Amino acid sequence: MWGEDRLTALADAALTIGGDVEAVLSRTDSALTRFAGSRIHQNTSRLDGEARIRVVLDGRVGVVATNDLSYDGLHAAADKAREIAALTPADPHFPGLTPAGQPYGRTAGPDEETLGCPPQRRAELVAAALAELPAEVDAAGTMETSVQERAIVTSTGIRVYAAGTRATASVLAQGATSSGWAEAGATAIGGLDCAALGRRAGEKVLLGASPREMPAGSYPVVLESGATTNIVQWLGWLAFPGRAYNEERSALSGRLGEQVCSPLVTIVDDPLSPLLPGTPFDPEGTATRRTSLIEAGVAVGVAHDRATGAVAGTGSTGNAMPAPNSMGGLPTHLLMNAGGATMDELVAGLDRGLYVTRFHYTNVVHPVSTSITGMTRDGTFLVEDGRIVGGVRNLRFTQSCLAALAGCEAVGADVELATDLFYGAALAPAVRLSSFTFTSTTAY
Amino acid sequence: MEGVSRGSSSGVGIRAVYDGAWGFAATNDPSPDAVRRAAQQAVEVARASARVRGRDDQRAVLDERRASTGTYTTPHERDPLEVPLSEKVDHLLAATTAARDAADVSFVEASTDAWRITTSYRDSAGGSVDQRVLQVGGGLVAYAVGGGEVQRRSFPNSFGGQYETGGWERVLLLDLAGCAPDTARDAVALLDAPDLPYREDAVLLLESSQLALQIHESVGHAVELDRILGSEAAYAGTSWVSATDRGSLRYGSPLMTVIADATTPHAMGTFGYDDEGVPAGQAAIVTDGVLTGYLTDRQSAAQLGEQSNGTARADSWGAIPLIRMNNVSLQPKEGDRASIVADTDDGVLFLTNRSWSIDDRRLNFQFGCEVAYEIRGGQLGRMYRNPTYAGRTPDFWGSCDALGGQSDWKVWGVPNCGKGQPSQTARVAHGAPTGRFRATVGVR
Repeated sequence: MWGEDRLTALADAALTIGGDVEAVLSRTDSALTRFAGSRIHQNTSRLDGEARIRVVLDGRVGVVATNDLSYDGLHAAADKAREIAALTPADPHFPGLTPAGQPYGRTAGPDEETLGCPPQRRAELVAAALAELPAEVDAAGTMETSVQERAIVTSTGIRVYAAGTRATASVLAQGATSSGWAEAGATAIGGLDCAALGRRAGEKVLLGASPREMPAGSYPVVLESGATTNIVQWLGWLAFPGRAYNEERSALSGRLGEQVCSPLVTIVDDPLSPLLPGTPFDPEGTATRRTSLIEAGVAVGVAHDRATGAVAGTGSTGNAMPAPNSMGGLPTHLLMNAGGATMDELVAGLDRGLYVTRFHYTNVVHPVSTSITGMTRDGTFLVEDGRIVGGVRNLRFTQSCLAALAGCEAVGADVELATDLFYGAALAPAVRLSSFTFTSTTAY
Repeated sequence: MEGVSRGSSSGVGIRAVYDGAWGFAATNDPSPDAVRRAAQQAVEVARASARVRGRDDQRAVLDERRASTGTYTTPHERDPLEVPLSEKVDHLLAATTAARDAADVSFVEASTDAWRITTSYRDSAGGSVDQRVLQVGGGLVAYAVGGGEVQRRSFPNSFGGQYETGGWERVLLLDLAGCAPDTARDAVALLDAPDLPYREDAVLLLESSQLALQIHESVGHAVELDRILGSEAAYAGTSWVSATDRGSLRYGSPLMTVIADATTPHAMGTFGYDDEGVPAGQAAIVTDGVLTGYLTDRQSAAQLGEQSNGTARADSWGAIPLIRMNNVSLQPKEGDRASIVADTDDGVLFLTNRSWSIDDRRLNFQFGCEVAYEIRGGQLGRMYRNPTYAGRTPDFWGSCDALGGQSDWKVWGVPNCGKGQPSQTARVAHGAPTGRFRATVGVR
């Protein structure tokens, strides 16, 4: 790590060109150990950084990004950004750089063990997971550690810095006719129990062996945390962005104050939460905070950056994305509140339905209705009379996210980090839903 | 003008083998000391990999080949990064103005991107390749919002338009301003169009850009040999194709011939050498409907006792090379879209991708398009909005009974192909004519 003094001093180099300047600097040291066929086959480490310089000249905006984090590199990037701004038509919607003077919250700092984690330690954790697998079961997955530090310095007087660590692990256990999945994340590598992940993934392989085919149709379901997280993340893309809300492209446009989900559903965006920590500031330098989006099933808010917040008259909620950004504010730390049910209680509430471990390759079908499609994978089970009776072949679903959560009958007590294909990470509990529409099946 | 930015990223990535196990380390610091440290780190990481070898104690072996030396530069007339910014701005604003003048669209976006990728490859066997690849793209999207619908039409394709290798002249050939009015009018017309009704075993025609994405998802990814051998299992999945299927697996109808060709002029997946120093070439993937090859790198090819066909690519200096598609193209037959429509009594024509999803073995897929048209008695009829189609890969390709000819064939760039952990994004391409198939349509 370079630390606050070194990173902010470098950012100052960009400001020496004078005028309205915003410098966002980040530095990341990441390492990912990947295994397949129960052996480590890809093992990488990367040290990189980025300076993103935004220069404003009379409403004209230029942005330059570089990973040359030298004084000369920063200065050259700022010069180039000014050159771009001078040649660019003015943006009438640009709200100006963020003024100083906001109070910033705090997030957990870096964990020393994670910070210095050697590749041998990651290999040991992989081995610990593999040791828990049943006979004749192989596994694939990842063990990743990273540290990121970020600073913003602006000509308006903002000068902030934050750093944090992250450790995540996943295990896909693979049997002859079935597979099982488990994953976890923490701010410190000591918070991961990789042996437990191996056991859990392995148990699903045994439970799901020789899966039967279920016909397409609507079923009540229990979704594990990873599957619920996928649903919540899609709401983050389709329903919660401030620009979509302003332009009446969101399912929530004109519906704030309305009941849109089950009263059991509460969703917030909170980069300050210790459960899923981000930074105390967004890339525009606005202080991040807990933003209520759905409160007991009622739509109460959306995510704004400074531009979309100005249009809505609410101001930014601290959800800006790196400039230039045409998407508007996005919630990147979505949390769905846990309930009180154990997994056994969630399953016990199903007379006949399906238990879904996770979804695969989800994508939008109809944005305004929050309808998405995707597949189940790595642990899909039939539940009868309140207990899992065996595995089923994977199914494709096509389902509105809001409609699914409108039928939320129970919410699990535990939340766990779930990383999703393409869309980062969020946190949501397991849930029981009254109906979920599966539109076709596959061959395994 | 909503966003103008320029970015640069440079660094050194080092891959090392220790006792048959891989390690990789990368740094954005080009100083000799930092590069030396990265090399030592790569070996350290490889030592850690060697601690978890799996039940079969498999060791990394590369194919036998003479070390490559050479240079390559993408043929071009005007380096897109040297074109004055004002010229690009004028070009885009002319397109958005033409669209706004033609129809009552809600908003219009036009964009252009350009990349200049300079690579120096060296290996301890004497390999030495220097390469500069130029990639460009541009496009237009018109949106119409109203009545709970968000409809869009993209020109010439979704994902930001068409992407190719070459210079700024490739963007000018798109004629964005000339094609903007029709694009805008179609977007507005979609608001009043009916949804495509559900129908099983329907006859559907895919125009070439949608067929290109169908090839991408259900052929290109499925024949990546690293995926087939399991190395992507925990993330994007495996494949329904096995490493012993070559020469015997019927992939589709006898009309289906697919070739991977990294030398196709102007195509997005064209280069001189891959990131293992293997010269660009061609490989037969499917011949007359039968699987005849895979996409390979040096390690996976060696497992089959062969030589790599040169598809190992990394998305940056900070990433390891993975097997990635180059230009994986369905070969043309005869006729064109008009003649296939005229030959169709009852069907649906799908245009321009909007959504895609496929299972983790590349079997069960569902796509959404921006627009569809009814075909009755060989004539195009009414417009449909929110069209989707779904099927299974071998059934779908087996149903192919018409493919357009050379005049109907076009290569489409796909700029957002995701794979690997840490996730990498590749820019690839697919040539395709119009094709006729059978599948379920109107799923929602």
